[in-house]
Amino acid sequence: MKKYIPFLVLGCMALLPLLGLSDYLMHILILVLMWSVIGMAWNLLGGYCGQVSFGHAAFFGVGAYSAGMLYYHTGIAAWWGMPIAIVAALLVALGIGVISLRLRGPYFVLSTLAIGEIFRIFAENLETYTQGNLGIMIQERTWVEKAPYFYIILGIAALTFAVVKIVVQSKWGYYFVAIREDQYAAESLGINSTLFKTIALSLSGVFTGIAGAFYMNYMGYIDPGIVFALGDISILTVMVVMVGGVATYWGPVVGAVIMVFFSELIRSLPTIGSAHQTLFGILLIVIIIFLPNGIAGDLPKLIRILGIGRKQ
Amino acid sequence: MAPHIELFLQTLIAGILLGGLYALIGLGMALILGVMRIINLAHGDQMMIAMYVAFFGYDLFHIDPYISIFIAAPVLFLLGVGLQKFLITPVLRVESILPHNQVILTVGIGMVLSNLATVFFTSDYRSTPVSYATTAWYLSDYWKDAPIELSLSLPWTVSFVFSVIISTLLWFFLGKTDTGRSIRATAQDLDAALLMGVNVQRMRMLTFGIGSALVGAAACLFIPIYYLYPALGKQFTNIAFVITILGGLGSVEGAIVGGVILGIFESMTSTYLGMGWAPAGRFIIFVLVLIFLPGGVASLIKKKRLAR
Amino acid sequence: MKRFLSVILSTIVFMLFGGNLHAADFELAIPLPLTGSEAKFGEIQKRSYEIAAAEINAKGGIKGKRLVLRFEDSQAKPETARAIVEKLIGNKQPIIVGEYTSSCAKAVAAVAEERKTPYLVVASAADEITQKNYKYVFRQNATNVHYADAVVSFMTEVVKPKTMAIIYESTNFGTSGAEDMDKQAKKLGISVLVKEKYEKGAVDFKPILSKVKAARPDIIYMVSYVMDASLLMKQIKELRIEAKLYAGGAAGFAIPEFIQNAKDAAEYVVTATLWFHKLKYPGAASYAEKYKQKYGDYPSYHGASAYSAIYVIKNALEKAKSWSTDDIRSALKATNMMTAYGPVKFEDKDGYQNQNFHETFALQVLKGNHELIWPAKYATAKYVYPIPAWRDRR
Repeated sequence: MKKYIPFLVLGCMALLPLLGLSDYLMHILILVLMWSVIGMAWNLLGGYCGQVSFGHAAFFGVGAYSAGMLYYHTGIAAWWGMPIAIVAALLVALGIGVISLRLRGPYFVLSTLAIGEIFRIFAENLETYTQGNLGIMIQERTWVEKAPYFYIILGIAALTFAVVKIVVQSKWGYYFVAIREDQYAAESLGINSTLFKTIALSLSGVFTGIAGAFYMNYMGYIDPGIVFALGDISILTVMVVMVGGVATYWGPVVGAVIMVFFSELIRSLPTIGSAHQTLFGILLIVIIIFLPNGIAGDLPKLIRILGIGRKQ
Repeated sequence: MAPHIELFLQTLIAGILLGGLYALIGLGMALILGVMRIINLAHGDQMMIAMYVAFFGYDLFHIDPYISIFIAAPVLFLLGVGLQKFLITPVLRVESILPHNQVILTVGIGMVLSNLATVFFTSDYRSTPVSYATTAWYLSDYWKDAPIELSLSLPWTVSFVFSVIISTLLWFFLGKTDTGRSIRATAQDLDAALLMGVNVQRMRMLTFGIGSALVGAAACLFIPIYYLYPALGKQFTNIAFVITILGGLGSVEGAIVGGVILGIFESMTSTYLGMGWAPAGRFIIFVLVLIFLPGGVASLIKKKRLAR
Repeated sequence: MKRFLSVILSTIVFMLFGGNLHAADFELAIPLPLTGSEAKFGEIQKRSYEIAAAEINAKGGIKGKRLVLRFEDSQAKPETARAIVEKLIGNKQPIIVGEYTSSCAKAVAAVAEERKTPYLVVASAADEITQKNYKYVFRQNATNVHYADAVVSFMTEVVKPKTMAIIYESTNFGTSGAEDMDKQAKKLGISVLVKEKYEKGAVDFKPILSKVKAARPDIIYMVSYVMDASLLMKQIKELRIEAKLYAGGAAGFAIPEFIQNAKDAAEYVVTATLWFHKLKYPGAASYAEKYKQKYGDYPSYHGASAYSAIYVIKNALEKAKSWSTDDIRSALKATNMMTAYGPVKFEDKDGYQNQNFHETFALQVLKGNHELIWPAKYATAKYVYPIPAWRDRR
């Protein structure tokens, strides 16, 4: 039965646009799906392989700009940017891998943070290529309705989910976790940690890049401050996974729902107004303290706390 | 020729003064990261709170920001100890798959701090326009026929001097007092320190408190030269990181040297390459140091000492 | 626990189906940045919108309906702005107004055009917003290109400079402002010796200012949002850079905080502005005094534009044949009125569509206050030129 859950969820999601939901809700759902993709991609590297990156905006932005620059300089539809985004993200991943993967612990984290910011600043300054802070705007988006975008991102999300599941359930996944738990022990068993960390990083980067290219096409406007943002992209990615549940299949999805949906909900509450960030910050702190492995990761504990489920 | 020399010297001076300030901002984080291995992404927001303390001291009670150091530093100390005791320790205690929960915790803390500031203090830009804000010493005032003009800003110089004083005091504290040594012991080897009878819990709280107090002092030195609004924390958190890594985790001398190097580097890049690139330079140094000199400048200093 | 869940559930329901007020109310929800680094301007706008709405309601509202304003925080993030506007359009709000940053305005404009809902831009300066052949996007404020018209005119007629240095912040606003001044300078035969950008919020400008000092330009032109302006002038004074004129491209230079912060370093600085509270536009003085009484300072042009936008919308709603989006659009297109912000008439001209071309002005800080100095016919004080050197000032 458990085996069929992903397909059931996919099926239900596919039917959603037919319910005639408002454009606003569709927009939120599309964002939730996009963040699920990024979260799942990050989770592969961070949750399963233990390499926590605070610079995933580098991949997202590279993907977005691949699509954007293609459109801006050649006029070709930005959707063709997706294959380019894949290649670009891969190259970036390999580059970052060479630089950062030799670092451990907080050093790795900080180096990814720095690299993300370096990309942002380069994008801001290389105006001839990227238009700098003027950003890139698509004159006419491909569709006005939300449904096509919804199906595209749903497809990408399903693909990402499938790839993550297959990889994690394969020998590679086993190596990833071994590296996460104890890199030296893994190496002593003959696992080439650098190779597998690079593989994880590459897969992670490529899917994040695809999400970036999607963003360019969907939102129609990007600039370095948006797509290479430390707080709004890199840190948000980490939050999505850590709140949702690291090293679980559904964790990033749950996290995306909370970070996107809930934050939008809280933001729209009538009287709270500008204090919404405080509420959200508190929510974050509470989740981190009581559910350290995220909601999906600590599901039993959460069920206990909420008092649902059978009494023992 | 003269304009070139003037440009170079003025840039150099600006870099050194800026560096002193940067060093103090980074010192607190260097201590915390070195002793507790905690990445505190709310560092800049703590600085922002201290700046508000200094601002209200000036606005309501006419207390000069430099005097406010004696108010803001203790306030921040208490804030730091409080955060450590009630929020960070519980998170650290729990077993989790990834040990990075504390980073997310600090993100949440930063969010709350900056948003509360927005709610209570509004997003109006504030500043402390002290009378000596633009006072400077000019070379031509002292040397009548100087071929070049150099200016040394009063508030910047005062901040630099205070930075040096505070860092020196800290260095003495860490090196010569029992508590200081206990803190360093906790940083070097937690288990050994425990075995030697160090109250590790207390040391960690103390460290977080001192680290926060340092950033509180930096805030007071900084407010006359800059301005204040709730969202300003993020860029100073970034600067603090770079200083920490550049200088070497947990090292006071490293942080100072690192700060000054960064200040000079940024100034030079701004002048000769273009100011837009300066932030990139900051991060590129960061990455280069991470790769090639992971112990930071401190490891260079140590090497020199051992070699003698 | 159950209560918590039901609150969440009801909020979701509210969001899904939209709230509806009395039929005797016209609800106008406005997206703007209430938190984040642009919050200051969002606040100025919000206060001004509220003043306008209160006045209108005191006089009977719009066609007898009470105008109810609601504000949504976009945090200056384009996705959030877009989400808000899609929600509003989904709730059948027939007209959109608001936003501050150009990135958010661009995102909102794209949605408004797609959904065929009229959108009135009040503060965003990027020229492209009204250059895209959008039928539904209208802009009340002048674009970046025109911000500095009065300053340029002042320069050509009074200062007659030969060289210039341009310093600008690396945002959309700063970059386009600097590009336009560069082009203008070239047209006028002024050589631009230094053109440097900086990242918003920078601490130390002395390196780049030292470079400017070494080049010895006649004019230093700066484009910056807020506090960078006061820091720049303070540090220029510290370095004793003697230029014939210091000029700012509106925004940070035109708000009271500039003077409060830079103090004597702000004296004699000229800046472009889109509006000034002493202009003799109908309602300008009373709006400015009301704002000052409530909030302590005179409002900047951002506030004035927001205030008048509500009147422009009232006018469109009253003249429209019905309150369908297309009829409101036509009414908006036909706008030709004088407001506290100045004349508002949306024209298709020079490659822009639905753009209001209004005069811009130059202010100078004299004796610690902003005074309007150019064009001479609107001047509230005589300009001071040449300006005394730093050495010779007290």
